[in-house]
Amino acid sequence: MRRLLCLGVVLTLGLAATAAAQTTDEFFNPDTLQRIDLWLNSSDWSKLRQNFQENTYYPADFTWNGQTVRNVGIRSRGLGSRSSTKPGLRVDFDRYSSGQQFLGLKSFVLDNLTQDNTGIKETVAMRFFARFGIPAPRETHTRWYVNGTYAGLYGLVETVDKTMMGRVFGSIGDDVQNDGYLFEYNYVLGSAWRFAYEGSDLAPYKARFDIKTNESHGDTRIWGPIEELIRLVNTTASASFDATIGTRLDLPAFVKYIAGQNFIAQNDGFNGYDGMNNFYFYRLENSTTHVFIAWDEDNAFLQSDFGITTRNEENLLTQKTLSLSQYGALYFLSLSDAAASAADWMRAEMQRQIAMTEEAMLADTLKPYSNGEYQTAREALLSFPEARITYVRCEVAKQTGATRPSGCQ
Amino acid sequence: MKHLTQRGFALATVLACITVPAAAQDKDRRGFVWNDRPTIVFGEDVSLELKARGLVEWRRFDPEIGEDTFNLRTLRVGLAGEVTRHFEWEVEREIEHSVGDDADDDAEKKWRFGAWKDVAAEWKTFDSFRVKGGRFKMPFGLEQTTGVSDLDFAYRALGSSAIAPGRDRGVMVHGEIGRVGYQAGVFNDDGDNAESNEPQFVEQGEDLDDVGPSVAVRVTGDLLRLLPVGRLKSATLGVAYTTSSVPEGLNGLRGESLWGYDFFERVYVKGRRQRLGAQFDWSPGPTSLKAEWMQSREERNGQGNRDQDLSDYIGEAWYVAGTWFVTGEDKDSNINPKRPLLKGGIGAIELAARYDQLGLRSASTTGTPFTNPRSEYLLPNTDRVVTLGVNWITSPWTRVIINAIHEDFEDVNRTPESGTAAFWSGLIRLNIVF
Repeated sequence: MRRLLCLGVVLTLGLAATAAAQTTDEFFNPDTLQRIDLWLNSSDWSKLRQNFQENTYYPADFTWNGQTVRNVGIRSRGLGSRSSTKPGLRVDFDRYSSGQQFLGLKSFVLDNLTQDNTGIKETVAMRFFARFGIPAPRETHTRWYVNGTYAGLYGLVETVDKTMMGRVFGSIGDDVQNDGYLFEYNYVLGSAWRFAYEGSDLAPYKARFDIKTNESHGDTRIWGPIEELIRLVNTTASASFDATIGTRLDLPAFVKYIAGQNFIAQNDGFNGYDGMNNFYFYRLENSTTHVFIAWDEDNAFLQSDFGITTRNEENLLTQKTLSLSQYGALYFLSLSDAAASAADWMRAEMQRQIAMTEEAMLADTLKPYSNGEYQTAREALLSFPEARITYVRCEVAKQTGATRPSGCQ
Repeated sequence: MKHLTQRGFALATVLACITVPAAAQDKDRRGFVWNDRPTIVFGEDVSLELKARGLVEWRRFDPEIGEDTFNLRTLRVGLAGEVTRHFEWEVEREIEHSVGDDADDDAEKKWRFGAWKDVAAEWKTFDSFRVKGGRFKMPFGLEQTTGVSDLDFAYRALGSSAIAPGRDRGVMVHGEIGRVGYQAGVFNDDGDNAESNEPQFVEQGEDLDDVGPSVAVRVTGDLLRLLPVGRLKSATLGVAYTTSSVPEGLNGLRGESLWGYDFFERVYVKGRRQRLGAQFDWSPGPTSLKAEWMQSREERNGQGNRDQDLSDYIGEAWYVAGTWFVTGEDKDSNINPKRPLLKGGIGAIELAARYDQLGLRSASTTGTPFTNPRSEYLLPNTDRVVTLGVNWITSPWTRVIINAIHEDFEDVNRTPESGTAAFWSGLIRLNIVF
């Protein structure tokens, strides 16, 4: 059943790519450098930059590809990436009119790329995840103009919301599978958390798992299954772990997710340096099963020799799952698959994205790094795929006792 | 503390009732006298009055909207007096009860002086030309310019609190010429009810409180006496107008429900704010019929998403209210029960009903409406309120008001509980005023 579900997700991901409405595919078309114009009152623009740490919404008119949507809501977004000179933005089409959508989208994100001096780490990572079968938002790049003035190169990111869940998990008959419970993981500063049980009170879980759908439901209905999952992960013995946890978490998909994050050397992900970070969590419609959704990978590609088991022993869920032989093996297999998937694709994809965005990046005077730093960073990034593929293959062979491929040190 | 306050008002009620028989007055006496309220008379036309008013209420809501059951609505003390027959003055200040988290445990320290209310002096030598200066209510709105303890209902109609400006500092000339009354004043800002939400983009050193100055004019008269309309001849009609300039910011008049929910949030405005009002007041015998209509219109110069001018922001409100003393007392400003409670009577009992509504919208109705505070076409919302009441007047100083209130919102998504359009609430209010 679990594998069927996992397979279903993968198939749906593949099918969704071709079946999704052409218009949203065009909007997030990774082969196109888009242009987005936002028009907002000059006083609001000043105020947004002045109060960039606040989530205050401001009204704006949005234009893309000759189509204009009036009165969308925009606000500053991000954690460490917040900026007054080049603010990251969330754009909500339905902020001021509950039924207003654009191409079926209720919102999207403009990623200011301030923490990625190559400008393409996030987009390469998400494209890699989608290719690898990990649920991930669609992304491309856009030149952003505010009130007619160029305001920089941005990542154009699909919002993880009900609409995206429908795209990713498809339909059963006429029933779109997007009525589950979607949570954004909320990184609590100074409180590194690695799946330890925090008691039966739901408050700590409410603080960490920010509900994004079905918000009107009762707390027990929303967060009760999360508390139960975490409690069971903490208390269930190895012998019954798969049977007990497997009905509440898609374990094969989870293993693939953490293997994928490790392959791209994401240091601030699920097994992050300061606890868990940067993901969405979705309880499938009419189900007890949860899955992870990728989010915010702009700290990926840290270094090619990023250890393939880095912090796997620190996170309780990771540690207990991978201690089971079948999932330990699946983890290394997934790493090998990731290396195979990246082999003929990743460097070429990086070069393609660099070619597409270079002019816009060089013209971006609001980015917090110089053009020289950008050029150095992109060259370093281009060297990552080949070195990483070799390193991962060698390390997997070392860990599994398989024959080491050529090129290993 | 809540119980202490409630016990205090219960005691005050009893005392106020007991004072009724003792309130027979000798107008020629000097020194301390009870002249409707404690008064020190120094000589002819020179006096000092102590004023006080306390209003407490117990409320119930359906569905629950998170409001407290007990509410100390108003507690004020004041002084008023005359200095010769030429001048009179008044000072009144709110007393607040601190209930915040930082409130001191010592009950006495929880009480403190709050906002100044009326602080004004008046030259009144001539009935046809008087001059009033200080802080007082701007001449707009029949109900707004009626004291809270003289209202026929526990709460004013929505428009009286949202559109009518309320108090401000200023100077006003007023008087009566024949059967026509007039009031015209210049005020520093634009009234307490229209306080700015945000002085936006103010340069360093610039005055933050820069709404206004405003001008307000009202003319009233019993003009129907010229027409063959029978008993309606005693009705009073009036029109009023205000104008002021409003600085850029999220400063539009807001639509606040009876219990404080913003069913229409402030919008960006800049330019001229004008109000126009009309009033009707008729009190034949034991009955009364009152009605008001008022409209505000605010400019939104340069407030669009592309810095363009937007259509005017409009607030419109009206009400009609009727009362009837079933115990037969005349409806005037000093209700004296024919059968006082402590003389074995039942006091004066009055039935009251009012319909009022407040709606906010943009002048433009073209295209798709939005709640966006910079939208050309603002999604309108209206709060419609029906109030049914019984007033029990036990003495000239005490009154019990029982109101059942039904609120109904036009936009079901902008209500105290999103998705629910209509709400019932009920209250019992005790007024003690002297």
